[in-house]
Amino acid sequence: MTGEPFIAFTDVWKTYGSGEAQVNALAGVELSIARGEFVAIMGPSGSGKSTAMNIMGCLDTPTAGRYDFCGVDAGRLDRDRRAALRNLYIGFVFQGYNLLPRTTAAENVELPLIYRGTPAAERRMIAMEALRQVGLAGREDHTPAQLSGGQQQRVAIARAIVTRPALLVADEPTGNLDTQRSHEIMQLIVRLNAELGLTVVMVTHETDIAAYAQRIITFVDGRVASDVPNLKAA
Amino acid sequence: MIWETVRLALQSVRRNALRSVLTLLGIVIGVAAVIAMLTIGSGTTQKVKSDISRLGSNLLVVRAGRPPVPGSPPSAAVRQLDERDVRALLTHLTGAQVVSPASQKQVRVVSGTESLTVSVTGTDNGYLDARDWKIVSGRPFTESEIRGGASSCLLGETVRQQFFGAGDPEGSVVRVGHMSCKVVGLLEAKGFSGFGQDQDNVVLMPLVAFQRRVAGTRDIDTIYVTADSGTTTTELVDRVTDILRDSHRLPPDREDDFSVRDMTQVADAMTSATTSMTGMLGALAGVSLLVGGIGIMNIMLVSVTERTREIGIRLAIGAHERHILVQFLVEATVLSLLGGLIGITLGLALAGAAALALGIPFAPSLSVILLAVGFSGLIGMVFGFFPALRGARLDPIEALRHE
Repeated sequence: MTGEPFIAFTDVWKTYGSGEAQVNALAGVELSIARGEFVAIMGPSGSGKSTAMNIMGCLDTPTAGRYDFCGVDAGRLDRDRRAALRNLYIGFVFQGYNLLPRTTAAENVELPLIYRGTPAAERRMIAMEALRQVGLAGREDHTPAQLSGGQQQRVAIARAIVTRPALLVADEPTGNLDTQRSHEIMQLIVRLNAELGLTVVMVTHETDIAAYAQRIITFVDGRVASDVPNLKAA
Repeated sequence: MIWETVRLALQSVRRNALRSVLTLLGIVIGVAAVIAMLTIGSGTTQKVKSDISRLGSNLLVVRAGRPPVPGSPPSAAVRQLDERDVRALLTHLTGAQVVSPASQKQVRVVSGTESLTVSVTGTDNGYLDARDWKIVSGRPFTESEIRGGASSCLLGETVRQQFFGAGDPEGSVVRVGHMSCKVVGLLEAKGFSGFGQDQDNVVLMPLVAFQRRVAGTRDIDTIYVTADSGTTTTELVDRVTDILRDSHRLPPDREDDFSVRDMTQVADAMTSATTSMTGMLGALAGVSLLVGGIGIMNIMLVSVTERTREIGIRLAIGAHERHILVQFLVEATVLSLLGGLIGITLGLALAGAAALALGIPFAPSLSVILLAVGFSGLIGMVFGFFPALRGARLDPIEALRHE
């Protein structure tokens, strides 16, 4: 993968609706992210940052243009191929945690491994290790209802990294947390980025959260308005 | 992986226990009805067959008129059987052990202040052999009673109990219709027939007395003929037919105006009646299963909608469409199998109770049970497919946004 960017948008358009009601969520986005980078994506609501993130996470495909992920033209893959790609290479962290209710922390973390066909005993072991990495050793049998918001987000992060992904996509990961917890979660993400070489793409609208990233990309009206290294973090 | 899915499905059924049980009711009732009907049906068939084999496979039953064809009107102006036919058979038939005429009527029987509607048969002693009646006390008719049409009668157990309790009826007088009748003996109890008919609610009397003083006609309803040990019933049917055609002076181009059936044919007729009844009730149960299936479809659609976010999460972390499809299909199948199992238990319990009440054997069939299991599983799969597909086709982004 010499010289080839890890993530590359080439003139990416995403259009919703048709005729008069047609809306361009993305209007010719050019973007590339290298392996191991920690990028924050900012912008007002409706700027296209969520759409861009969904495409990066292979949840969505561009209407026009090309999206390359890991050297694969991911924008042209069918649903199941993209699902396989997500399972193998991408971890997701959401604002609302999105854990399965009434399911223990360990079982939540094991979930991606089930779709990989990992045997149960091995799954358990890997999940426990991931929980330890996010500082939740000993909480494996707690259900989300028995955990605080910060702890739930840690479980979600453990679930995202349990497959040893190359990319972590985080959608407002601190949006539901107080300042103290927010900074703890961000320190955890920074550590994972540094220790595991995990590429992180994080959507946020809080500047102090974006400040943890090495690079800040700002979207306005479906285009990249600015793309600057964050000198403070670097 | 599949075990994982089954475990997950059971978990989800348990979490919504009340809802699951209500959903399953249709399947439970349908399966219970099928199992109960088929089990009772095969018990009845067994009972009928054993009744008939007890009567002896060497019995022929001769009746006036052609055998009834279901659905067609009874043929008018039937030539009844009478004394001449019996005499012809007694004179010419070889290979027969018993030739016994019998006529029957439902008549009110009175003794003291008690009364009872009883099946009264006028016949002779040959009838006792042909229909396997034993006398537990008293005696059969005498030759002179039969020839002279004496007012003597034999009582069945039910009649005895109604009028005399556990007492001995011998020598008492009962009124049969307008005639007074002296009780000379008591018949052994037979219990209920395969169709739930009380076989002991009977009074037997000499044929001549019955014809003169109860029926008021000289017609004979039935002639019972039994084959001796050296003769097959098929041979005997042919001989009886020839003699009666002769006696009725039927030209060769005319059809028989009487029927001669051996007990295997009678058994077949009875069994087919049971079978068609079972089939009809089975169809009703089928409707219930269909309704049950729609219930499952409904609840699975609810479940898919409720768990849209869960589906979104699963899709996002790498579940393929078929994983989601299988998950919900397994859930629907587990749900409906559970209903099937409850239904089978309930159906067997019902059939067991019915067997006790009707005095028929309890005859559960493994193949019927397996069929019910398979069928209920199939219903889950068929009716769960559409909701499962709907879940599997969800867009992960939309699904994750679902509140």
